[in-house]
Amino acid sequence: MASAVVIALSFSSCSKNDGPDNPSNPGGNPDRWITVAGALMGSDPGDGNGGTMVYAVSKEDARNPEVSINVYQDGFAVRSNRTARLQSSEDGNTLFNIAYTGDNGGEFSRYHVNGGGSFTQEDVSVNISQYASTSPRWVKLFDGDQTGIAVNVANIAANNAGENSANEPFQYYRGTATVLALDLQEVLIKGYRQYQIPLTPEEEIQGHTIFRLDAPVLNQAGNKLIIGTWMQKRNPATGQTEQNFERLGSKSVVVDYPSLENPTVITSTVGFGDNSGYRSFNSFLAEDGSIYQATQRDSKGSHILRITPENEYDNSYNFSLDAALGVQDAYVDCWRYAGNGIAYVLYTHGGSDQGYVARLDLNTQTATRVDLPYDPDLDFGQYQGILVDGNEVYIAVTPTGKDGNIYIFNSETGEVTQGAKLVNRTGNHYIGIF
Amino acid sequence: MKQFYLTLLFTSLSNLLFAQLSTIKGKVQLENGKPLSHVTIKVSGTSIVGISNDKGIYELRNVPFGDHKILVSSLEIKPQKIAVLIDKPKQNVDVTIDATGDVALDEVQIVGSSTKREIETQGFAVNVIETQGASLRSFQTNELLDRTVGVRVRQNGGLGSAVNYNLNGMSGNSVRIFVDGIPISTYGESFSLNSIPPALIERIEVYKGVIPAHLADDAMGGAINVILKKGMSNNLVASVSYGSFNTIQSNFSGLFRDSKSGLTVKASGFHNYSDNDYEVWGKFVRNILPNGRYDYVRARRFNDAYRSLGGQIELGFTDVKWADQFFIGYNGSDDYNEIQHGTYMTIPYKGRFTESQANVLNLNYRKRDFLTKNLEFTFNGMHSDRSQVVNDTVRWNYNWFGEKSVGLDGNPILRPTGAQQGAATILHIDRKVTTFRSGLNYYVTKNHRLVLNHIFYTIDRKERDDMRSAVEREFIGTRDLQKNVVSLAYEANTFERRLKTNLFGKYYQQKIDRVDPVLLSENGQQVRTEDRANSNKTIMGYGLASSYALNPTLILLVSAEKAVRMPSENEIFGSPGDNIIENVNIRPEISNNFNLGLKLGPYQLDQHRLSFSTAGFLRDTRDKIVQRINPRINDALQTNPYENLGKTKSIGFEAEINYVFNDKLNILFSASRFNQVFNIRYDDRGNQYDNYNKQLPNEPFFTINSMAQYTFSHLVQKNSSLNIYYNFGFVDRFYTTWIDLEEFRTPKQFIQDIGASYFFPNKKLVLSADAKNIFNRQVYDNFAVQKPGRAFYLKLNYTITNF
Repeated sequence: MASAVVIALSFSSCSKNDGPDNPSNPGGNPDRWITVAGALMGSDPGDGNGGTMVYAVSKEDARNPEVSINVYQDGFAVRSNRTARLQSSEDGNTLFNIAYTGDNGGEFSRYHVNGGGSFTQEDVSVNISQYASTSPRWVKLFDGDQTGIAVNVANIAANNAGENSANEPFQYYRGTATVLALDLQEVLIKGYRQYQIPLTPEEEIQGHTIFRLDAPVLNQAGNKLIIGTWMQKRNPATGQTEQNFERLGSKSVVVDYPSLENPTVITSTVGFGDNSGYRSFNSFLAEDGSIYQATQRDSKGSHILRITPENEYDNSYNFSLDAALGVQDAYVDCWRYAGNGIAYVLYTHGGSDQGYVARLDLNTQTATRVDLPYDPDLDFGQYQGILVDGNEVYIAVTPTGKDGNIYIFNSETGEVTQGAKLVNRTGNHYIGIF
Repeated sequence: MKQFYLTLLFTSLSNLLFAQLSTIKGKVQLENGKPLSHVTIKVSGTSIVGISNDKGIYELRNVPFGDHKILVSSLEIKPQKIAVLIDKPKQNVDVTIDATGDVALDEVQIVGSSTKREIETQGFAVNVIETQGASLRSFQTNELLDRTVGVRVRQNGGLGSAVNYNLNGMSGNSVRIFVDGIPISTYGESFSLNSIPPALIERIEVYKGVIPAHLADDAMGGAINVILKKGMSNNLVASVSYGSFNTIQSNFSGLFRDSKSGLTVKASGFHNYSDNDYEVWGKFVRNILPNGRYDYVRARRFNDAYRSLGGQIELGFTDVKWADQFFIGYNGSDDYNEIQHGTYMTIPYKGRFTESQANVLNLNYRKRDFLTKNLEFTFNGMHSDRSQVVNDTVRWNYNWFGEKSVGLDGNPILRPTGAQQGAATILHIDRKVTTFRSGLNYYVTKNHRLVLNHIFYTIDRKERDDMRSAVEREFIGTRDLQKNVVSLAYEANTFERRLKTNLFGKYYQQKIDRVDPVLLSENGQQVRTEDRANSNKTIMGYGLASSYALNPTLILLVSAEKAVRMPSENEIFGSPGDNIIENVNIRPEISNNFNLGLKLGPYQLDQHRLSFSTAGFLRDTRDKIVQRINPRINDALQTNPYENLGKTKSIGFEAEINYVFNDKLNILFSASRFNQVFNIRYDDRGNQYDNYNKQLPNEPFFTINSMAQYTFSHLVQKNSSLNIYYNFGFVDRFYTTWIDLEEFRTPKQFIQDIGASYFFPNKKLVLSADAKNIFNRQVYDNFAVQKPGRAFYLKLNYTITNF
């Protein structure tokens, strides 16, 4: 195991500015643990509110369709009231978790992966709830497991709210944003900033506001964070949130790194959805220095947007998943960049909850649905962990309440391999591989 | 079958062992209270006889337990027979004779001495808590309830904190609280079981699962009915208590009746205050350092003060020709409540508080032989104006020392939610509540009664949040709710009152009017109009309660009800602020509730007296109203309706043993255990859920309470007495999440209290001292919320009667 750690460390140190995964290491690390996570139902099937359990196997076992993994019977329960927000170290030896809601909501802890259902919680933990609430949104930066970024927006109010300013004219709804950097190695808060992030006066007078921030990513130069947004529109005449409104172009917030200061907003003219993702990554730095970002709730179906190394949207890049896949209302539940312009995306279309897997080529702006045994109950709505290991991409495919398998996708050849069987329980589903 | 014989054997043996004899004492008097001497009182069919002396007092010795007829005769009145149930070793039966010579047992006295048993043997699963002893001690009403078998009071801290009642596993909206049969919500937040002191309470009836017809409301899981004191003799009682955490509780109540005109004045008042600054510690009490690390501390709660003040005055006539009771009254109350934290103790709040007021006008009328003989009519009308303000505007994080938390740069950190618990708010909620309750009781014969009850309840609610913009404040919808519940019951005492049967049906109607403002475009102009909708739901419920006395010391009780809970306004019409959308087709929740009980005793052997009761119960709840969770859309935009999806089942039992020695030592032991499980078995494809039949998380399912009390007479002064008490409570550990994780399990809890009361020889003054949680254990009602540790209280009671 010691040699594995050395390999992993050297791997992560050189991968710093290369994007998420190093194509020079095509086979990945042969001794890497593969940790599978499953969400238990609370009161409704598929709600994932019963908690999260994890189980680690060797890569050999993960690839072997003869092996059965039952995370619900043999796994380890991660300390979280509801679905845990898990991330893993690049070497697979450590799981990071921020507990979501509950008495320990906002608590970041590290678990050492020992294999099987054995995980050791390290005795130091850090709580970010004072800054980012007990239900924080966070991801790890691709910087060799050094930093996690948590973000939050709170207290959205009109400029003329409250007794003292009741006679002022309406100008905007704004919330207070928090951006916080977490030292994943020392288990400490490194820094944080809190500010209001204005939109243009024309957008604000209509009631548009940033409702949430999520899924930050570090740019190629390592001097800016690009943070995804979830937009909301309130009717200034009534104060009520509008359900159907004409969406603005997709927006991201750009802040200086590591100071976290000087927030500015960039706007796409290609995508019209949010780009906040869901419980995991949504933007990736590729080898070409550009950042690729997926949209959700896009009025024209999910798009992949491109942000240039100069931190501006590249509006000449127009990658519509509807067009590429030949479907209506494509919706990206979760996706992951695998290197060399190839990405894998879990999506739905046509308003159905049934999930599919597609292989994207970001360079040619083409997408192909991967041939898998699809099932109407396959729902990636809570999916949060696609693992990229060298050229290989690991995804857990289990319809709610039914058994499934790990599938291994070769990003270079497009080949699909069926891996270990995932034993399911009624109402539960597997939500990731780490 | 075997068990049946064993039971019979056991009871007949008990009958041999324990002589079941009673001494009856009482007073014979005219209606105006004048004693009558030389009246002969004879137990029919026996040779037991007594004659009243010049003070009207008579005594009958060695009367066997059971139903008897008592023959009352004298030279001046015509002989009459009256039925009484003798079930106590010492029983008080007063006899009142009106001027025409008609004889009546004095009802007030009878009620005073045996109401508890009378109610508890009707067949319902009911506990009657008598407050006499407790009112002398530094007790809160919620503490009394919490010691009652099958009742779990879950409180979010000390005096005044938010309370949830759990009756045999049913809680929240399905348990309703009444004051004298009127829903307590009429009185407002400021007149709650948190504020009403036991001294103003005659008794508390706790009905589990099956609710009698006169408590007409959609109380699906149970009802707690608080009966306020209604003594008819002149009296004045006052008490004051002071103790730990700067807790002061004082109250008075008094009654004056002019015997000539029947003019009666009743007044009572209370004042409670506590800093609730008790110490907390353990894994949930930590300050978060600027770098995010924990610093575990011991700290005193600093934002938890509570104050309540209230009074009631009633003016009217009692026992006059046109009314047995006629009162017009006013009830006013006010409270102030600081809130220290939310669901968990891990994040302390500063500056969040609520203030509430209520002004209630009421009218009470009661008349026996109304219009015709054997018809009793009661009417209770109330109108209340309630207002509440929730105030939460402090923008900073605080630590457990009450200081602003600072970040890495040394500046205070803004709360991630805006204010302490959520967005900043100064929310005014005003409600006007009107309740009319009327009842007709008709005695078809002495042992057959028809009960018809109607309750009408209307609530008109307005909200205003000062922290919103002017537009938002104006653009707010209204909800008006009206509820009618009609219930009809038939009560029969048959087989010489051995079999009591109570059959009832209830008809519920609930109407909710919704008015939401909307903007419409007309000729390019935005015009404000109203979007009106209403929902009208009706449903029937029915049930049965029955008891059978195999003999006076062995009673079987059985009760069952198809109980309902109407959907609330939010469940029907949604709440845009909480991302709930409307579902006008939602149905009421239904629960099939069943109770089976057994009461044994009291058995008497020399100075020893023993009684025992046990009950088993089943609650099968369907169409449970839950909000469907959509896992795809993230929480804050999840606009989902409430739906009839859930199913739960609760099975359990409770038992209570009471032992009394020489009327000096009294030991009470009770235990309650239930299994409340998830009851949806299969998914759409017929696969069984893992959670099926699994205990729901966060339910304290096993509790034990025991109490011992001893009375010393003439200890210090002649005619004085001293009572000492010891109380022990146990709550078993329980998981708080679906996953059985040790970190999410509350610890086992053992709580011990002691106390003493000293009755001065004049019997007017009583001094009590209480020490609660004497070993200063960490006590949790709700997961991760610590209750007060060791505390001391001193209380002084003063009573004047018959002035």
